[in-house]
Order: sequence, then structure tokens, then C-alpha cells
Amino acid sequence: MNRSLAASPTDGLAVNTLTIWWDDAADGPTNMAADECLAAEAERRGSLLLRFYGWSETTVSLGGFQKIDDARQIASIRGVPLVRRPSGGGAIVHGSDLTYAAAVPKSHPWGASPQVFYDVLHGAMVEVLADHGIRAWPHPASDARPVHDESLFFCFDRRATGDLVMAGPVAGTFSKIMGSAQRRLAGVVLQHGSLLLRGNTAVGVSARHPAVADMMVGLSLPDQSGLLRAWGARVAHGLGAAVCEENAPFVRGCALEVEGLAARFREERWTARR
Amino acid sequence: MAADLKFAKTHEWVRPESGGVLTVGISSYAVEALTDLVFMQLPAVGRKVKAGESFGEIESVKAVSDLYAPISGEIVEVNAALPGKLETLGKDPYGEGWVVRIKADNPTELDGLLDRAAYESLVGSQPH
Repeated sequence: MNRSLAASPTDGLAVNTLTIWWDDAADGPTNMAADECLAAEAERRGSLLLRFYGWSETTVSLGGFQKIDDARQIASIRGVPLVRRPSGGGAIVHGSDLTYAAAVPKSHPWGASPQVFYDVLHGAMVEVLADHGIRAWPHPASDARPVHDESLFFCFDRRATGDLVMAGPVAGTFSKIMGSAQRRLAGVVLQHGSLLLRGNTAVGVSARHPAVADMMVGLSLPDQSGLLRAWGARVAHGLGAAVCEENAPFVRGCALEVEGLAARFREERWTARR
Repeated sequence: MAADLKFAKTHEWVRPESGGVLTVGISSYAVEALTDLVFMQLPAVGRKVKAGESFGEIESVKAVSDLYAPISGEIVEVNAALPGKLETLGKDPYGEGWVVRIKADNPTELDGLLDRAAYESLVGSQPH
């Protein structure tokens, strides 16, 4: 980790601080590498870190255990760059979604078990969406479809406990609008997540999923950065923490490390490892 | 939980067998915390591992977790049936749910692992 990102004991950063970075759009390997750096930084600082970022081109990220052959057989995403996430779950078409990575030490109250971290971040988003007149709720445990149904290739076709859903687009139906997945390392948890605010028209119909925009009746979409900033504030409030927004992109502070790690995510043997 | 087990802080258990071979598995605490296991990848027999190095992966509730070698050595056997019967990890984590067997390079590394009481103290202090 580049020391320019490092918090010295005199920086005033503590466990009850949520640090947020806003990164520019980048390709899949760069984003995955940056997220691994974020996890290492969270472990070193001992605090919760959050990174918001975009994608320089439409990209499909595969869950850590998904089979590359399954991706290659889906015509609607043919030709779209693939990147394999270190986290689990199903495939996501990135480009029009709001993507985040959050990292928290396992010793943190939110890092001990998988569901807690999903629930606190998703719960904060429920509150923020409600402030914009959008009613979403966590998918209940009793109604969860099995997450290991491999016939459901895309994350947004699956329902796991705590995924955010909302009514629509057809009366009487519900659609998943936010899902997250984790990589649990020895001392730190990296959580990836995606909010489907707008549908992605760069892929075929079978890879498109109902987005918030498709289900809002008489409402305008909230400003993306405002929504994410409000979400960060809610997350911090739930922790009783202060928000520290960094001015410089996270990737800029650890460019060499990201470049080195991105090389692995560009390798075919990583992407096609399963 | 058998008294002869040792534990890593990363929740793998170790049982010494004969000939310097160690059986390695995942603690019941970790299995319960992960819940709903869906995938597992085991290492190849013959692979050399160092203590603290990831030797496999397991996925549950969209969370991929690494399995860490509690001791350095060579993987001499894997429980090849386990990925197809992950429920065994919950039913019998210290028996049929064993994961790999490692021929230790240096059995004294065992001294650096936790005994049962120390491990139970560790997991008892973990936040929930």
C-alpha cells in the first residue's frame, strides 16, 4: 500500500470513522485490483472504508465460483468484457448501476458474520431511498430463493436474504434492485455491491433487469452522487461514526499496487479459472 | 469437540495423526457463522503450502472465504467427496467433515496454534 494513503496515528482516524473515496470510471481489472487494495487498507487502518466507482465500458463481473463457460453461452452478453470478482454471488452487468466496495476488519462489529454487513449497508439504503419516495425493502429470509441455483446466472435474477427489492415493474411482481457479495479474508471483509438505478441497454434483453427507473411512478430519479453521499452518511450514523470524504481518488493513492494487482485480473487463467 | 485438536485463529482445526500427518478441518463455529454453504474448492494433492497461506475456498451466502493452512507442509490427501456433500461440514465438522491432510514440514509449528480452551475464548469474544 502506498504510504500516501496511510493514516498515521496522528491523523485522527479511528475505528469510528467511515472514510469514503470517489473514483473515476475504470476497467474491470483496475476496479477489482483497487478493491483488493481497499481491503488491505481497511485491515491496516482498523476501520470501515467505502469506495464508489464507475466502469469505463460495459462489463460483466462474474462471482468467484461462477463458470466461465456459463458466461460464454449467454448470447446477450457476447462481446462484453468479463472480469472475475474475488467476491461470491452471481454475475452483474455493470455500466448503468451504482457500484460500491466496502471493507471492514473482521474484528469490527460489522465484520464478524456475513449477514450483518449486508444488512446494515442495505438497511441504510432503504432509508435513503425512502427519503426520495422510493419504497424498497430487504428480501425476507423465509422467502429467499436458494442462492446456489446455478441456472440463475445473474445476481439480479437471484434472491438472497437481505437483497433489496421493490414492487414492479408489473403489478403484483417484485424486482431485486440491490445486491451485495463478499470476500472474507483472514482479517478483513471486502463487500461488493450494486444498486440498479437505471437499466443497461448495452446488453441483450435477457441480460437486462428491471431497474429503479423502470418502477418509479411519477417520480424523478435522484441525483446519483447525492444519493450515494446520503447513503454514506446513513451508514456512518448507524455506526456512530464520522464521515471522512477523501478528495483524491483512491486509485491515485495506490497506483502502483493497483497496476500490479490488475495484471492478475487481466489474465485469462484468472477469469477462466472455473 | 475432541480435546486433542488445535486451532488456528482463522478457524481451521488440526488433529495430529501418525507419521507427522495432520488432519485439517473447519471449526463448527466457522461453519455456523458461514451458513448455507454452496461451493468449495480443494487443493491438489502434492501441493506445498506454508502456514497462513490460502489452500482452498468456500462460498456461502454470496461470501467467498479462504481456507488457510494452519501449518506448513504438503497436501497428502483431500476429502474429495466433501464439495459434493457440504452438509457434512455442519453435521460432523470434526469427523467426516475433515478437509485435507497435510504432511507437516515442521511439527513444532503446532505449538503456535491455540488449544481448545484458547480457541473457545477467542470465538467467545468475537462480535456477533
